[in-house]
Amino acid sequence: MNAAELRFHNLTLGYERHPAVHHLDGAAEKGSLLAVVGPNGAGKSTLFKGVVGSLKPLAGSIERNGVDARDIAYLPQIAEIDRSFPISVYDMVAMGLWNRKGVFGSIGGKDQHAIEAAIAAVGLTGFEQRAIGTLSGGQMQRMLFARLLLQDTRMIVLDEPFTAIDAKTSADLLDLVRRWHREKRTVLAALHDIDLVKANFPQTLLLAREPVAWGPTKDVLSADNLAKARRMCEAFDESAEACVAAA
Amino acid sequence: MVTRRTFLQSGFATLISSPAAAQNASSKKLKAIASISIIGDLVHNVGGERVEVTALVGPNGDAHVYSPSPGDARKLAAAAVVFINGLGLEGWMTRLVAASGAKAPIVAVSKGIAPRRMEDEDKSGRTAIDPHAWQSVANAKIYVTNIRDGLAGMDPSGKAIYATIATAYLAELDRLEREVRAAIARIPPDRRKIITTHDAFGYFGDAYGMTFIAPEGAATEAEPSAKDVATIIAQIKKQKIPAVFMENVTDPRMMQEIAKESGARIGGTLYSDALSAADGPAATYIDMMRHNIGEFTKALIG
Amino acid sequence: MLYAVLFAPFIEFEFMRRALVGIFALALGAPPVGVFLMLRRMSLIGDAMAHAILPGAAIGFLVAGLSLFAMAGGGLAAGFLIAVGAGLIARATPLKEDASLAAFFLISLALGVTLVSVKGNNVDLLHFLFGSVLAIDDLALMLIAGIATVSLIVLALIWRPLVLECVDAGFLRSVSRSGGPAHIAFLALVVMNLVGGFQALGTLLAVGIMMLPAITARFWARDITTMIGVAVGCATISGYVGLLISFHADLPSGPAIILAAGTLYALSVVFGPVGGLIWLAMPRRHLEA
Repeated sequence: MNAAELRFHNLTLGYERHPAVHHLDGAAEKGSLLAVVGPNGAGKSTLFKGVVGSLKPLAGSIERNGVDARDIAYLPQIAEIDRSFPISVYDMVAMGLWNRKGVFGSIGGKDQHAIEAAIAAVGLTGFEQRAIGTLSGGQMQRMLFARLLLQDTRMIVLDEPFTAIDAKTSADLLDLVRRWHREKRTVLAALHDIDLVKANFPQTLLLAREPVAWGPTKDVLSADNLAKARRMCEAFDESAEACVAAA
Repeated sequence: MVTRRTFLQSGFATLISSPAAAQNASSKKLKAIASISIIGDLVHNVGGERVEVTALVGPNGDAHVYSPSPGDARKLAAAAVVFINGLGLEGWMTRLVAASGAKAPIVAVSKGIAPRRMEDEDKSGRTAIDPHAWQSVANAKIYVTNIRDGLAGMDPSGKAIYATIATAYLAELDRLEREVRAAIARIPPDRRKIITTHDAFGYFGDAYGMTFIAPEGAATEAEPSAKDVATIIAQIKKQKIPAVFMENVTDPRMMQEIAKESGARIGGTLYSDALSAADGPAATYIDMMRHNIGEFTKALIG
Repeated sequence: MLYAVLFAPFIEFEFMRRALVGIFALALGAPPVGVFLMLRRMSLIGDAMAHAILPGAAIGFLVAGLSLFAMAGGGLAAGFLIAVGAGLIARATPLKEDASLAAFFLISLALGVTLVSVKGNNVDLLHFLFGSVLAIDDLALMLIAGIATVSLIVLALIWRPLVLECVDAGFLRSVSRSGGPAHIAFLALVVMNLVGGFQALGTLLAVGIMMLPAITARFWARDITTMIGVAVGCATISGYVGLLISFHADLPSGPAIILAAGTLYALSVVFGPVGGLIWLAMPRRHLEA
């Protein structure tokens, strides 16, 4: 039995006191491949922000067993990348070496090979000197995956990595996810495509602000559960009272 | 019936009121207006206690561009006599007099001096009369006699007093003139030239043998060009001018730079068109001349 | 003949040599900072800063009179406070950098005007504080040279976090805490270059040499290192040509230099390889692949 790498204790995360994730309990084991599924506004992105430490819980806690925030590679849903900035694909991917090189570490021959290998692994060989502003959506996503590869972390958190991406790119990048799973890294991915989840992810958390179900995918993604999740209210209730279960 | 008490009372009343009467008589000073502070000082030195003089263009003011205020018009209307320089200095005076409805006579104190000509301000090649006659002490003495006569004309009962005071002051001016000549004599003849933006020293130069040179180029402007700076440096070097007095260069560092590269000394502040404030180094005409000549000698003597 | 036009003015006159050295020093330290400012959409900060330092200069004046040292020091302190304060607020609140800076500089300017009028003096403080390229004394020269050196060193040190902060701040936050300090250090460089530049060379030159070559470089480079190189080159050329024009054509020097830089800019807008307008008018045949 693998030790739990990530554990949520009665976790509530939100913005300006409105809960986006409400009373979540559970654990993700080390090396697991977990899909987080739910309708829009279900709190998936919020949960991931909590996991990587950029959002403090309103109540409850997140326990990371021996995993420092630096050990987590995070791909946000909408990367706030300034595409007009004059930087090449190569230099952008190279930033993935940060946790080993820091501000001043120099990039040697071995590092250069690693960068090139990462670029090749995502199928962007030949794009090294292209400015990032010239990339298509799919190419941009590949580049960001290459950076994740290079980060070489224990845990990888992906927020809707395949949304608005063409099928070929999705398939290629999914291969990488599987590779990470084989390398015993813990992978969390927020996804919309139920079929993709059923085909590739052994564990699923069905979230509709409150957890609906968490466990093996085929159990979680039953018709009943999906219907229950859809009934969840999406908007914050401005007239809501203080939550009595908060403790 | 006139009683002893009435006598006493009226005697008493007269006793009390006589100091007041005496005071009233002496507080009836002659009100005079002078156009510029320099003339104001001269009038003060001639009129003494009998005259209350106000200068329209005060210390550090610029008579060439002065724009009179309504307060000035009121002062003019209340004045008994007005002293101006003349020679074209106070272009604004005629309009002011007309506007104020003043009935006071206007005395041009430069009457009788020998005017010199100077190059016109717009450098068009035309010349105009140089109004800054007071820069020669001899001319200042003529100013003083004109002022004395002007005051006597308005206040005949004080004629003798004015004459006495004026004579004493003229003697001081004589002493000043000797000082000026002695100071100039101490400056080596080949060093008796300076650059200054003041164009008011023409009479001084003619009277005492100094050359005042206007700076070439517009290095005094707010935004000089490199050519301007180069021109004045070249001018100083070529004409071997020992000192530069250019207070209206807005950037003192520019001054330092020009001085360093050309080898000229930087001179201090000169007062030519107006006196300084009362606590300044040139609060009276005599102080002004002494101050200027002090600055010249400081900069030019070895 | 060419010698007389191109070199003689500098050989003959010391003030021209000093001006050239001063401009070259500024051209080395300021444009790299300007490139980052442009990329972060802070191109107008120079103008804002010129006004924002007024209260600092005013306090310096109130304390020590017309002392260049006190006023420049006050201006520098005010500049730092404003830049860093605006930066910190932009990071911690929903406000963006430009709004935060605008708020600070407006308040600062009003404060400065109030302080100056309280003393009852209408001495044009800022005018006194600002220098001119034709009047660089030894102190000013050392100041700009020092600033250029410090700028280059600091930029080299904060290069990585600075670039990453511009392009993908979220990623930087996730791997490092150096984003904040790098940002502050960068703002400090901006203030130093601007206030030092004002003091030594005047506002027009300091801001102009910082921004105009950087903006011009946009049309010549696709990566930031080349962009910085081009910006430095443009600044240097503009300085040299501008001084010559001021000398031969009798034009004010600061504006001449900036107009030279402006000409380079105009030419680049039309003919620059990256996005120049002429390529819109005359598209070349597309490549095989």
